[in-house]
Amino acid sequence: MGRRKKIVQECERLMDEPENIRNIAIAAHVDHGKTTLSDNLLAGAGMISDETAGEQLAMDTEEDEQERGITIDAANVSMTHEYEGTNHLINLIDTPGHVDFGGDVTRAMRAVDGALVVVDAVEGAMPQTETVLRQALREGVKPTLFINKVDRLISELQEGPEEMQQRLLSVIHDVNELIRGMTQDMDDIEDWTVSVEDGTVGFGSALYKWGVSMPSMQRTGMDFAEIMELERSDKRQELHEKTPLSDVVLDMVCEHFPNPVDAQPRRIPRVWRGDAESDLAEQMRLVDESGEVVLMVTDISMDPHAGEIASGRVFSGSLEKGQELYVSGTAGKNRIQSVGIYMGGEREEVDQVPAGNIAAVTGLKDAIAGSTVSSTEMTPFESIEHISEPVITKAVEAENMDDLPKLIETLRQVSKEDPTIQIEINEDTGEHLISGQGELHLEVITQRIEKNQGIPVITGEPIVVFREQPQEASAEVEGISPNRHNRFYISIEPMGTELVDTIKMGEASMDMPEQDRREALQEAGMDKDTSQNVETIHGTNVLIDDTKGIQHLNETMELVVEGLEEALDNGPLANEPVQGTLMRLHDARLHEDTIHRGPAQVIPAVRQAVHNALIDGTIKMLEPMQDVRIDVPNDHMGAASGEIQGRRGRVDDMYQEGDLMVVEGIAPVGEMIGFASDIRSATEGRASWNTENAGFEVMSDSLQREKIMEIRERKGMKLELPEIVDYI
Amino acid sequence: MLTFIGLGLYDERSITVEGQRALRDANRAYAEFYTSELIGTSVADLESHHDVDIEVRDRAGVEQRPEDILDAAEDEDVAFLTAGDTMISTTHVDLRLRAHERGIETRVVHGITAQTATSSLTGLQNYRFGKATTLPFPYAHGADGLPASVTETIDDNRADGLHTVVYLDIKIGHDRTDADEYMTADIGAELLAEEYPDLVGVVVARAGSPDPLVEAGTMTDLADRDFGDPLHLLVVPGDCHLLEADALVELAGADRDTLDIV
Repeated sequence: MGRRKKIVQECERLMDEPENIRNIAIAAHVDHGKTTLSDNLLAGAGMISDETAGEQLAMDTEEDEQERGITIDAANVSMTHEYEGTNHLINLIDTPGHVDFGGDVTRAMRAVDGALVVVDAVEGAMPQTETVLRQALREGVKPTLFINKVDRLISELQEGPEEMQQRLLSVIHDVNELIRGMTQDMDDIEDWTVSVEDGTVGFGSALYKWGVSMPSMQRTGMDFAEIMELERSDKRQELHEKTPLSDVVLDMVCEHFPNPVDAQPRRIPRVWRGDAESDLAEQMRLVDESGEVVLMVTDISMDPHAGEIASGRVFSGSLEKGQELYVSGTAGKNRIQSVGIYMGGEREEVDQVPAGNIAAVTGLKDAIAGSTVSSTEMTPFESIEHISEPVITKAVEAENMDDLPKLIETLRQVSKEDPTIQIEINEDTGEHLISGQGELHLEVITQRIEKNQGIPVITGEPIVVFREQPQEASAEVEGISPNRHNRFYISIEPMGTELVDTIKMGEASMDMPEQDRREALQEAGMDKDTSQNVETIHGTNVLIDDTKGIQHLNETMELVVEGLEEALDNGPLANEPVQGTLMRLHDARLHEDTIHRGPAQVIPAVRQAVHNALIDGTIKMLEPMQDVRIDVPNDHMGAASGEIQGRRGRVDDMYQEGDLMVVEGIAPVGEMIGFASDIRSATEGRASWNTENAGFEVMSDSLQREKIMEIRERKGMKLELPEIVDYI
Repeated sequence: MLTFIGLGLYDERSITVEGQRALRDANRAYAEFYTSELIGTSVADLESHHDVDIEVRDRAGVEQRPEDILDAAEDEDVAFLTAGDTMISTTHVDLRLRAHERGIETRVVHGITAQTATSSLTGLQNYRFGKATTLPFPYAHGADGLPASVTETIDDNRADGLHTVVYLDIKIGHDRTDADEYMTADIGAELLAEEYPDLVGVVVARAGSPDPLVEAGTMTDLADRDFGDPLHLLVVPGDCHLLEADALVELAGADRDTLDIV
């Protein structure tokens, strides 16, 4: 029997013992060494050879990942580790660190209970460190810290013990500050800060495969002086053998991360808004392997042989081949063709995967990343895609007309795999639009279409996605149906940031019980009466029905909502989506007979009322912004900050960190296109930089008209604004 | 001058003599057939019969862009034609009011409408009808199943002992289908049978044509019958006067035992 087969068998045995399972993610800022660390763990568990760990990047399975040297998709793997005499099953997800792939990180966090946050000892906590921590904590996932690249402190920067200790403590301090800030309002989470004494912090070098922690130092009797000595005299192999990274980290995982039985009672209320008193809730909290099957799909990938593979966390019940399961948001059931677990880049089929594990399933043809799959009809899990809205769009066309059907199919597939990608198929023009998180995100997607599917495509220039939002409350505006027998009286007002965020996070949605929604909205600042009259939520916009006892309105409401959605999806300025607007329906006059208040009457009347109200509320264009951080040597600082300022950007801060200067600022996404090559040439390649999407901001008045006309022209709209727009 | 002329119920001869005279005297004629149409004729036959040119307008051309009709009516005699009577179940009072706003003189020449034809053919007395309602195609209204306005109207009328005319939906030039669609009485009865399986209904088909038909039965019964060519409508009788009951038995083949006779 091969070694691999043995491990699979051991994994299968351990799957039934939730107390000994740890579901974890490794997350970090880009290039801080997540994937190299993952490989160490795999080698330690005997999954890949010890020699190649670090170079092999077993978790980076796509060709483009190994080429670019970064992780793009979150990859899954299971391994076993013996700790204090008990064998543990560790299900690990490696996540991408580049900001454009944040959607993968968010989804991965749903599947796990613990997050090993990796921070580069030299660079310290960086913007994406903060982002991944936030994503983990929001999901109720417990963090521990591994400080990587300590070898560079010793060998490269030649730091003494004092200096080094200072530096490590300051990294820990920064990370704890972040954790404290993010958890202070979370009642269900006690102190989750990390500390060396508790053993929730590890140090080491993923590249040279050694690591230490307080417990490991006590066990091996090694101290810092000895480690520094070995590292300095290049005896890294000896160091690895004496205190291997994988043991230290996997011990930390077993000791400090919660098992599913500990974690699910806390996590289920955070991620599921169904009835807490139901049997189903109880089964999920108890990780009941004989309960109803509940699988939360966190990832969809394509296998050339097996087809579409859905992977995700089994919260209750046991997945087995042949089960017929509901998929949230679709009608009918899907039949499971196979169930398995991940070993490295490959899938191993097993007979069943019980609650508490991460499973790989084929046959769920209707599932997308984010679907809830279950044996009984249930309230779906909270949406996990609310954090990142697409900011950039590109047109994609097949080079050969013959490829068109294949391209459409591939695009649909892509949006299933990565719901942060939005696809707009236009069968008439053949020019399809894909929208995503950034230039790199779209570039990777289009390259995969070309390489993996062999479809040559022509892509357009990247286009920025805009928003429209009113700036003040409007008067009550009348919308009249074409036959003039139906009238709607609507006013709008901009909504506060807190309310918008609450909706964006899915903390108040139409999917949840009315009472909970009301409370969430009130907590975010909506007054009580208003929160009781919420009729619908569309995007980050809310319709309040302030009417009382209007005959026939209830049977017309669906059309009212349809008209409103049309009005919001295509704003009055440039057909861009409207955000953050509260609409009140004050009154309606309806024709007695349904025939005279059908869709042809109601939809245009409502659309007109909403648009006129938005214009009366001084609706303006918003553009997406990015936070920019540049690390650069002192003599290139001027050039670096010039790159931000020259892009309608704003430099907010400049400070020294180590021997580098840090420039922090914010700039419009539209102007950041091409930033990568410009900053490289402006700083002779000496700068490293990060960008992070920072939401939408109102454009300056002087740019409004120009930008609106540019978009209208691109969309083939009339080049004049409605007459009542007199402020732009 | 803007003259609203009802064309009556069936073909080019359903117009009144007064209407015919007014139409022939007009300098221009506009028509709309999206609310209903004349099953027994075509626009071309109408034009040749009356020796006029008729410009047919769609809904937007009447409701959203009526300005040129009104412009013409400022200087000339303009006729505006619809099936039935222009002011009954259609809603052209709006156009008339817009004309008045501009100081244009208007006149209405009545046509025969389904409402009076229904009384005439069934023997149900005009005085004893309550509110009318239209039963829309399920895809054409916002709610699921039967719209509440339909059931409320029937229920309220019945509570008061009154009859209800249920117009059946017509889709002409609708973007959902290429062909015009007429809801037939069997389909209407089938929809109503969801709520009222045993309720008695009276079908009136092809009123105003040479072969009108009147048939009574429970909704469940009517749902299985074929009433031939359109247009159809349904009546839900309330309490019946003795003579009304006699008429329904004799003219519509109603089962006397199923009627509420007062």
